[in-house]
Amino acid sequence: MRFLERRLGFVGFCSFLAFVSVWEAVTRGGWIEPLFLPAPSRVLQRAVLMYQDQNLVVHVLASARRVLVGFAIAAVAAVPLGILLGSSRLLRAAVDPLLSIIRPLPSMSWIPLSLLWLGIAESQKYSIVFMGSFAPSVLYVMEATRNIDPLFVRAARNLGASRTAVLYEVVLPGALPSILAGLKVMLGIAWTTVISAELVAAKTGLGFLIMNGKEYFLTEQVLLGMALISATVVCIDRTFTWVERRLIPWRVEATR
Amino acid sequence: MAKRSWVLLVLMVVALGAVGQAGVPATADAQEKPEKISVIYGGSTWLSHWPVEVGMRKGFFQAEGLGVLWQGFYASSDRMGALASGDLDLAGTGSISAIALMAAGSNAFYVVAAPDSYATVEGIIAQRGIQTIKDLKGKKLAVTFASSAHVLVLDVLEQAGLDSRKDVDLINMKVSDMPAAFRNNEIQAAATWTPTFEKMRAMPGAKELLNDKEFSLFKKYEFGPGPDLLVVRREFADKNPKTTRAFLRGYFKAAEFMRTNPDEAAQILAKFTGLPVEEQKKGITDTTWYAPADQQRLLVSPGGFVQGLKQLGDFLVRHKQISSAPAVDRWVNVNFLPGR
Repeated sequence: MRFLERRLGFVGFCSFLAFVSVWEAVTRGGWIEPLFLPAPSRVLQRAVLMYQDQNLVVHVLASARRVLVGFAIAAVAAVPLGILLGSSRLLRAAVDPLLSIIRPLPSMSWIPLSLLWLGIAESQKYSIVFMGSFAPSVLYVMEATRNIDPLFVRAARNLGASRTAVLYEVVLPGALPSILAGLKVMLGIAWTTVISAELVAAKTGLGFLIMNGKEYFLTEQVLLGMALISATVVCIDRTFTWVERRLIPWRVEATR
Repeated sequence: MAKRSWVLLVLMVVALGAVGQAGVPATADAQEKPEKISVIYGGSTWLSHWPVEVGMRKGFFQAEGLGVLWQGFYASSDRMGALASGDLDLAGTGSISAIALMAAGSNAFYVVAAPDSYATVEGIIAQRGIQTIKDLKGKKLAVTFASSAHVLVLDVLEQAGLDSRKDVDLINMKVSDMPAAFRNNEIQAAATWTPTFEKMRAMPGAKELLNDKEFSLFKKYEFGPGPDLLVVRREFADKNPKTTRAFLRGYFKAAEFMRTNPDEAAQILAKFTGLPVEEQKKGITDTTWYAPADQQRLLVSPGGFVQGLKQLGDFLVRHKQISSAPAVDRWVNVNFLPGR
């Protein structure tokens, strides 16, 4: 199994290498103007230059902090609410219309209100990430809770378990793998709000880096910012998977 | 085009049939009949676009046999990006975006004119307690990064011996967001431009700390930190030289009208910018509107304006905004100007 995983990883690496090589060849060959698509080597040069100026790490850390704080607040609020909604039809009927209104709103649409309510401080940026990830997270958790086999719940109740015991002994262990999988997806989606979060009154962050690069037609800086968002998301995703394996080892074993 | 962010789309296609409308003599002769009946122009409420608005309202472009399709953009960089990708034919732009695009290696456009010079419609508005630029130390100063106001801020802080990274908290902010942030005391000063500049100056507790006259290159070349340029897409101009010339004739006639009839021009423009008519008139009369005859002196020989742009490019390199200063004169083309 491990051998197969390594082979698949090698295939992925080769595919990435082929993509970058074609990109480099096409741009170096002059088929595409660098203004519209600079070569990967130029993006790398820009990265080295910014790293030497001690700017790059600052931008990565600023964005990571904003996304992680905003997302953590959203997750802390969404998990209990989602479980409650998943367990109670009455609550679901009461809250569902509100969630349906909030869910489709793009994070950018919250900028004017967040500025009025929170000003230009960091809390405004956290709030944009929060609003972009809260409602979808609630829905993920709610669905995960609803997908618990009702037979298990009825069996526990018949054996005399209280509602609280059912929640802790049946619902949570059953829903946790799906909840964590949903939150992992949502963490990736939370990163898509970083541009909106850093659109106003930010002078650091990957969203700022991209927008500032756009202002000066530094397309290689724009691509660098995009690549760093992807790389950071991959790193955080791996960390999340590591945590997931320790929290719910039975799920990982089952998957294998 | 629909993808362009912050677009104020004002469609104003002027029918050719309107040529010769009441009070506007038709001047386009058969020799100079434009190849195209309309051009797409990228503008905003900033002053360098005022002649285009006046020209459309007064029929100066119609008289040249040309309709103008106006496409509004918040920032010069968006406008120049649209020009480079072929969505615009002509545009007015702040020189910083033009220099940045040149530095990025784009040959997509010509600089065809330097339309104006201004110094009193852009600057820093601060709380009354702030008396000098040095008083900004430790304060929050809002500025739109990558704008002419940003260059002004970097320059005046440098002149005052302040470090823009450490001594002053520069907040990157859109001009439209500045009045509310200033009112809520979230920022103590703002670097802004017309019409927000005048609106903020009139706010309670606000004062004009300085304007573009304090910019170091203004003292030498008499232009502000991001002097305006009229640019045309290279491919469009090469294929449609008569159309380009017709547009420039209409533009400079409108600028001349503004110079000689500031009251009427202010009435027209006040609706466009939202400024009170008196403020609008002051904006018109405080601005130097260059004529076609000035362009040779400014752009070619002795070309002081272009020299100033080169120095602006060096300034941007020094402040790590662009990687290399472009040879600006390679983009200058004065052959489309009236009288040539």
